Amino acid sequence: MQNNHHKEHLYKILVIGDLGVGKTSIIKRYVHHNFSPNYRATIGVDFALKVLNWDQETVRLQLWDIAGQERFGNMTRVYYREAMGAFIVFDVTRPASFEAVTKWKEDLDSKLTLANGKHVATVLLANKCDQGRDVLTNNGIKMEQFCQENGFVGWYETSAKENINIDEAANCLVKHIMASENDMLQSEVPDTVTPQLEKDKGGTCSSCFRSQ
Amino acid sequence: MAGKDVETEATGNNQETVTHDPVATEPSLMSGTLESLSGLGEDGSSVGSDSEINGLTVRRTDKYGFLGGNQYSEGSEKEVRVDVARQREMKWLDMFKNWDKWIKHRFQKVKLRCRKGIPSSLRSTAWQLLSNSKELLEANKGKFEELEREQGEAKWLDIIEKDLHRQFPFHEMFASRGGHGQQDLYRILKAYTIYRPDEGYCQAQAPVAAVLLMHMPAEQAFWCLVQICEKYLPGYYSAGLEAIQLDGEIFFSLLRRTCPMAYRHLKKFKIDPILYMTEWFMCIFSRTLPWACVLRVWDMFFCEGVKIVFRVGLVLLKQVLGSVDKLRELQGMYETMERLRNISPDTIREDILVQEIITLPVTEALIERECSIQVRKWRESRGELTHQPGRRLHGTRPIYENKRRAALFYVWSSSACFFFFKPPSNPFCGSQTFTLSCYWNKPGGLHRPKEV
Repeated sequence: MQNNHHKEHLYKILVIGDLGVGKTSIIKRYVHHNFSPNYRATIGVDFALKVLNWDQETVRLQLWDIAGQERFGNMTRVYYREAMGAFIVFDVTRPASFEAVTKWKEDLDSKLTLANGKHVATVLLANKCDQGRDVLTNNGIKMEQFCQENGFVGWYETSAKENINIDEAANCLVKHIMASENDMLQSEVPDTVTPQLEKDKGGTCSSCFRSQ
Repeated sequence: MAGKDVETEATGNNQETVTHDPVATEPSLMSGTLESLSGLGEDGSSVGSDSEINGLTVRRTDKYGFLGGNQYSEGSEKEVRVDVARQREMKWLDMFKNWDKWIKHRFQKVKLRCRKGIPSSLRSTAWQLLSNSKELLEANKGKFEELEREQGEAKWLDIIEKDLHRQFPFHEMFASRGGHGQQDLYRILKAYTIYRPDEGYCQAQAPVAAVLLMHMPAEQAFWCLVQICEKYLPGYYSAGLEAIQLDGEIFFSLLRRTCPMAYRHLKKFKIDPILYMTEWFMCIFSRTLPWACVLRVWDMFFCEGVKIVFRVGLVLLKQVLGSVDKLRELQGMYETMERLRNISPDTIREDILVQEIITLPVTEALIERECSIQVRKWRESRGELTHQPGRRLHGTRPIYENKRRAALFYVWSSSACFFFFKPPSNPFCGSQTFTLSCYWNKPGGLHRPKEV
């Protein structure tokens, strides 16, 4: 068989959320497999690249690490351009950072849509879960319901420090990006063959299964 | 009189435990710990785990106080000869004695000496004189303490606290949590939000304030920061960040003149200037260049103003994207961005960089002309600018002239019938030059009074 099927995908993924929630740490953990308490505050935007082998295909993820201070929100239109997916991050020990999640989601959806008019796949990350679960347990929020209501394709409790759930969350996001990419291709070229998606790739994300 | 030397300033900071500080009331600020040093080696630094003994980091700093990280200097820079250094110091001390006269009559010489590099022992005083922050402090004795006593707004303090341990984490002054450096940083950033409640705090102010703190005590650093935010880079840190975006457009347009090849490349891959120049400009390259270069750039910046920032940016782009060979490897947006975000310190030589900055034909007049073009375009495409910062002053000379005009106007107006024009007493006008100069600079406005 010819190697025609070896496709390369390049996806731009945004990492947004309030300042100090650990966006840079998550990216460093995911891309460089380490954690340090010495990261500098991000000013403007930073970048990192992660290459994944996905079935027989290569997936390149361009991760855009975007400054969390509200002030930089005026530049987000430029940062968001042509992104295919997003992580919105909050800090489980800081309720205010969770309250900002809907604001970030609205900002994202208002400035960015896919070619078919749909919103980009977004995964919610409850970071610093090694330090407690205050936000998740105290205010009685049903995260599944919150995700559904706010258009997240899934959510994960993560820890960049302890390396918890970061790969799983990324796999979940990639799976949804690929699915929406296929959606778009199908609507453009009706006779395109849909590549099969591996069901168990996404780990324990509740919503992933539902949307399949 | 001379500023604290970085080398001596930094010693012993590590082991210190601060027991009492009336300003920092948060528990996290009460004691210095070495927690943040334990992760050295991250960020591509050459620091190994053997630098830690019994939990205490004993690694030697470089001569600027860096323990590691990509701004650590290996000491390969050639030193200025001792006799030359001594001679320069004498010249600067001589200038300090008659500072105003030097600025008024021999400014070109001052500029030349800033371009040669200010002796490190005198840098603190020189920066304060060049920016006129020294006079501002003297005119506002006790003001800083007064600001410190105020409580401040929780929304700013919250953000500031989150940023304290994220400024130059590899510099020994800022490496230990709750150490002196971080405490002083908190003091001046907080004071600024009270001094300018309309401006609040912008994350990019922290590295700027940290560089100042590496050279001078908190009160001096505060007034120096005020001058940078109000005179040198007005609007850069304000809500909306319009000024920096506007400068991005100006910068891109200047690039078209100075390096068309780089311009075309960035245009081809739709790389908007704010993707790479935001950090460069807002932090005045303090997070981008090798440290020796940062200091040389700041020496010139304090003297000549934002022009230097534009020039450094243009020189860097020219260096990274200025030849066919270099562009061959950068066939894509990501590759280009990656290169621009991580300019290798080995490729930057201090003397060559400074030489190129000096010779680049980008003048204040050119920047101002381009600015009015870009303001017009902005209005056409995005509507009115919502934030109207004060007029940008291009370095020491305009700041000095502005100050003189304001002083003369004040004398003149208070002796004439302008009694309704009282000297400002609100906290926004640390110096009287602020509002008066705006009034004075109106075209067709008042006549210049005869000098007395």
